[in-house]
Amino acid sequence: MREQYYIVAEHLFCVEADDGILAQMANYEPFRTEQSNDALFSLTVTDGGPIQFIEELSQDEDGQDIVCGHTEQGEPVFEFRFGGKTAGWLVCSAGYREGMLYLSGFQSKAAVDNALMIQFAMASATLNTVLFHAAAVNLDGKGYMFLGKSGTGKSTHARLWLQNIPGTELMNDDNPAVRIKADGTAVVYGTPWSGKTPCYRNICAPLGGIVLLSQAPYNKIVRLKGIGAYAAVVPSISGKRWDSRIADGLHETENALASNVPVWHLDCLPDADAAHLCKDTIAL
Amino acid sequence: MKIKKGFVLRTVCGENVIVGEGLDAINFGRMLSLNETAAWLWKQAQEQGDFNAQSLSEALCQEYDVTPEQALQDVTETIQNWKQLGVI
Repeated sequence: MREQYYIVAEHLFCVEADDGILAQMANYEPFRTEQSNDALFSLTVTDGGPIQFIEELSQDEDGQDIVCGHTEQGEPVFEFRFGGKTAGWLVCSAGYREGMLYLSGFQSKAAVDNALMIQFAMASATLNTVLFHAAAVNLDGKGYMFLGKSGTGKSTHARLWLQNIPGTELMNDDNPAVRIKADGTAVVYGTPWSGKTPCYRNICAPLGGIVLLSQAPYNKIVRLKGIGAYAAVVPSISGKRWDSRIADGLHETENALASNVPVWHLDCLPDADAAHLCKDTIAL
Repeated sequence: MKIKKGFVLRTVCGENVIVGEGLDAINFGRMLSLNETAAWLWKQAQEQGDFNAQSLSEALCQEYDVTPEQALQDVTETIQNWKQLGVI
């Protein structure tokens, strides 16, 4: 077993695993650090399971299930299933600061990614940080995020910016992190998690706008404010809201975003005009 | 009656909103905006635990300058609304 340290969205964490697992973690390389003091959380990866636990809720997305629950002692447990088959069990303690991941031997790398995303989201929720389900692009030094339900076309809209708006770069295609800094500004960060697109960039930018996408037979964009902006943002943020400490932390960040960052709703076609309309409206 | 488990009063951009956050309310799927009086009644209902129109309107009369009849009518309407939305 070996320890490696990473920094994502300015949060330090540690992974302890054998060389076979660490060798598969190429997407984390841009985030590697020699720093090892004051890690926000640590994950130890080992073979084992099954873990017995009391189920609370099962979340299903894209053929992948995350079953949340707790042990008899009350420790949070997350079971990761792909196509109905279990890849591993994450058992957390010390307020998500310590995690043990037991691998079944099936889809080990995906289980490690899921475990780290969950621990990152939970441990940083009370530190003004949220992990989004979104695509993020960078233009002229500002970051813009595209939200929407699975299959709405977040990645497609990001790609339309890349193809049609010179100077646009992809920051992350699936799971960017956002952090509210001490001075109140929101900053978006690339992460080691980017869905099907290998875009693992250790970069950040002040968040210039958030766009909720819906498919439509036309292109139209409107500004959302107040509760509307909040309601647009909340469903795209990972969390375990039935844990009130985490819900309070997420709410604080979500409220800051809805209050301080322009939020928009874009009805759109998957075409170049949608990207131009969006950019001309939100990137001033 | 009681507030259903999992519903939380939040301040969103300066407004009072009920959101479903608990395990039993996670699929509520919408947000309920409350005016100042309704938000005050919600907090009061939470404090009382087991409440009814009478107990809330009595509390309302003590806090605000309102006749018992008016208070009871306002509270009854608010409770009716919450019942329809399934938050109590």
